[in-house]
Amino acid sequence: VQPPEKPLESEEWNRLRENFRLPEIFEEVMLNSMIRSNSPIDVAKSLLTHVAKRNGDVAYSVLVKYLTLCVQQGQVSEIRDVYDIMKVRFKILEIGAYNLFIKGLSNSDQWRMALTLLEEAKKIMIPSRTSYESCIKAASCHQEMKLAFELYHEMLAKDVVPTLDVLQSFFDFSRGMKDAELQKELFGILLYLRENQIYPHKTFMRSIKLWFESISGSKWRGHLTNIKDSGQCPVCNHQLEDSNLTEEEYNNLSERIIRDVIHGTDTFRKTSPQEFEAFQTFVENRLPFDIVIDGLNVSHIKPKKLHCENLLDAINCLAKDNVRLLVLGRKHMLMNSSNWKREIMKEMQTKADFFFAENISEDDAFLLYATLRSGKHCKFVTRDFLRDHKACLSDSLTRHLFRKWQRGHQIVLKTMFFSVFSQQPAFQYDCVVQTTGDTWHIPYKDVFEEKYSYQVPRKWLCIQQK
Amino acid sequence: MQSATLLLKKIVRSSVLPVAAQHGMKRDLFPLSRTLSLSLCVKQDNSCKPSEKLDLDAWKKVMKSGLQEEVSETVSEPQELSSLAAARETLEMWRLAGRLVPENVSDEQLKTFMECPSKSAKKKYLKYLYLKELYKKNDKRKMEEKRERRLEAQEQTSKTDETKKSPFLCLWASTMDKAYNWRAAQSMIFGQPLVFDMSYEKDMSVREVANTVKQLVQSEGCNRKAVDPFHIHFCNFKDDSLYHREFLKHYKEAWGKLLITVTEQCYTEVFPKDKLVYLTADSPKVMKTFDHDKIYIVGSMVDKSIKRGVSLARAKRLGLETAALPLDKYLLWNTGAKNLTLDQMMQILLTLKDTADWKKALEFVPKRKYCGFVAKPVSELKKTLDLVNTLKLGKRREEVQKQFAKNYPKK
Repeated sequence: VQPPEKPLESEEWNRLRENFRLPEIFEEVMLNSMIRSNSPIDVAKSLLTHVAKRNGDVAYSVLVKYLTLCVQQGQVSEIRDVYDIMKVRFKILEIGAYNLFIKGLSNSDQWRMALTLLEEAKKIMIPSRTSYESCIKAASCHQEMKLAFELYHEMLAKDVVPTLDVLQSFFDFSRGMKDAELQKELFGILLYLRENQIYPHKTFMRSIKLWFESISGSKWRGHLTNIKDSGQCPVCNHQLEDSNLTEEEYNNLSERIIRDVIHGTDTFRKTSPQEFEAFQTFVENRLPFDIVIDGLNVSHIKPKKLHCENLLDAINCLAKDNVRLLVLGRKHMLMNSSNWKREIMKEMQTKADFFFAENISEDDAFLLYATLRSGKHCKFVTRDFLRDHKACLSDSLTRHLFRKWQRGHQIVLKTMFFSVFSQQPAFQYDCVVQTTGDTWHIPYKDVFEEKYSYQVPRKWLCIQQK
Repeated sequence: MQSATLLLKKIVRSSVLPVAAQHGMKRDLFPLSRTLSLSLCVKQDNSCKPSEKLDLDAWKKVMKSGLQEEVSETVSEPQELSSLAAARETLEMWRLAGRLVPENVSDEQLKTFMECPSKSAKKKYLKYLYLKELYKKNDKRKMEEKRERRLEAQEQTSKTDETKKSPFLCLWASTMDKAYNWRAAQSMIFGQPLVFDMSYEKDMSVREVANTVKQLVQSEGCNRKAVDPFHIHFCNFKDDSLYHREFLKHYKEAWGKLLITVTEQCYTEVFPKDKLVYLTADSPKVMKTFDHDKIYIVGSMVDKSIKRGVSLARAKRLGLETAALPLDKYLLWNTGAKNLTLDQMMQILLTLKDTADWKKALEFVPKRKYCGFVAKPVSELKKTLDLVNTLKLGKRREEVQKQFAKNYPKK
């Protein structure tokens, strides 16, 4: 349906309605298309007038649609009118209408009313994050930073996750303000980014930089840079935090891996108690390893080569300087077959320790266990992202730990054209927002959206105090 | 024109707003009366200005004038809204806003709704109730139509009034039931056992248990009507478990008279271990033929969130033989998980038992899950699959190949 360009008389609306296929929903369809094509508000008004004259009442859904149109065009006085009407016409409003009111009013000089509406909405349900965001933006826009932060903390307390947009607005609006309390809150946001391993995007990073540079007296300077593989910042020569977990975190993680990933609800699902015990004694007797290899995963790197040759290449590539290797595989690898030649298997077994799991067991869980058990220096080799194992961990904190540990300890083998393998080494440094008090290092994304969770940004913002 | 509207607006505001404000404070007193007839004022509107220029804010006047009437009608019965009533109100508003919300909600459903942990869980539950209501309504309407047609037909036959004579006796449903029960009773003495493992209650949600029981009821029905039924065993069945309660809901007093064996014992206690075969889609072994001497076990589990290896773990723990249906060998798999519903399993096993014909048995796999039977060499079928997919889904060739490789891993 094409909405008309000018307000129509009742008769004209009637005619349109009768020509419509389903006259019962004519108004809703028409209003929807008005919202889509952003029609002038008078046209919608004339439709409502027509409806009111015909039925003596305007249905709630139609009013909400009209409200959507008003909000879209920022017609504040109309929004107020609709609110007055709805408030007396209906006993309570539903959360969708509240969201619209809040969104519509927060951009105007009536923004305080949006705050009271937010309070009202809380009585029914937890308001959406967009409602919180509009209120926070409205408050910080009017220099009421304290109020904005109150709302922000309330939001976090209710497990409503703020978008980067609202976090950015905090930095934008407090630029140039002198307030120790405010500074603390903003540092708090940066620490929130750190704890949740969130990376700001480019424009957000710019806001952070500008805010730092606007603090008078302390003379912060920001530089964009790339961090070297060694983890040293080229601007301030500061060494970034290394990717090792603390003793406590490390123990916590290995405990949780054994409990949640290997055992889970039923040990038999991934292995069997006998097999796991056998594996444990095997590992304990031969500790510690330097590199643990997922044999089956590595053996599929080059599809044109035999599986065992792939594995042999990988072992030869990694077995330098007396490192102790452990290769995990399954029993079927021992059967002489076209892909697994017995002689080559024998040769490999002289160079590395092998553990063969049952054919129906999951070897990845063993991989994690052996690596963690060998200690912090031990790395593992697989192309698998281990997402399903991460998903077995029950809380987000442990999942973050796992991610961090994985970044620091996973080696990925890549095939090149001529050389046998190239290693993509594990990260030496930890890729999170970090501070030493007089410096801040903030990794940021070039693009707005982060495509893969395993990818970490390589670009950094270095901020230091002169 | 504009100034006139403005003036009008002002008048309306000033006359109504005090009332509105006053009212806004005690809106809890307001009853649920939205469908008030306002025909009187509408008529007035129409009569006073039929030829005047368009008044864009007229609808506001109408809405507000309606409110004045309401206010005068109902300023009484002050009461605190209980949380239940408040939830009911919210639902009503959602319905008015055009969301998928059922018209009638029982108190019990309302409580379940309030106990939903998240917004999306609430929405899902409401949609479920809404669809349920819709289906019920449609069924009712169809029944009514059918009855009318029958009545019409009866009238016509009574007019023609022709006594029919048939050489056969009319077989009533109760007679059929007797025959079926006779067969089922025989199977309980001589029939091949088929075990349903009822130990998965902990792995399922309440909805999934309900679905499981529904599927079990259906499989029991198929079995009873078969020429040569299985002797069904429900093993690991705890009295007063969720399963039990759901069964009672379905069967009512017939539960006690079913011709099946229900036991708290495990199948390993009832049957010799070497004869048991656990059927599970995760099994690495593929079933080649149906063995009349073996006792097959089917896990009574509906697994909507694909928990891999739950039933395989159970078989592993007890050291039982496992088997999977040879779906890949006989069917060109298209989409969907390879775990089938319990009644489909039942149909397949019954057919296998009678005919030993895989093709006939696997007819019971849902048609949407496969493209065809493997009669020709796989490479030829692959071409057909490619064609079907590119025509139907517009999928790219590589994707299809990838899926093919997934379904038919190189050995």
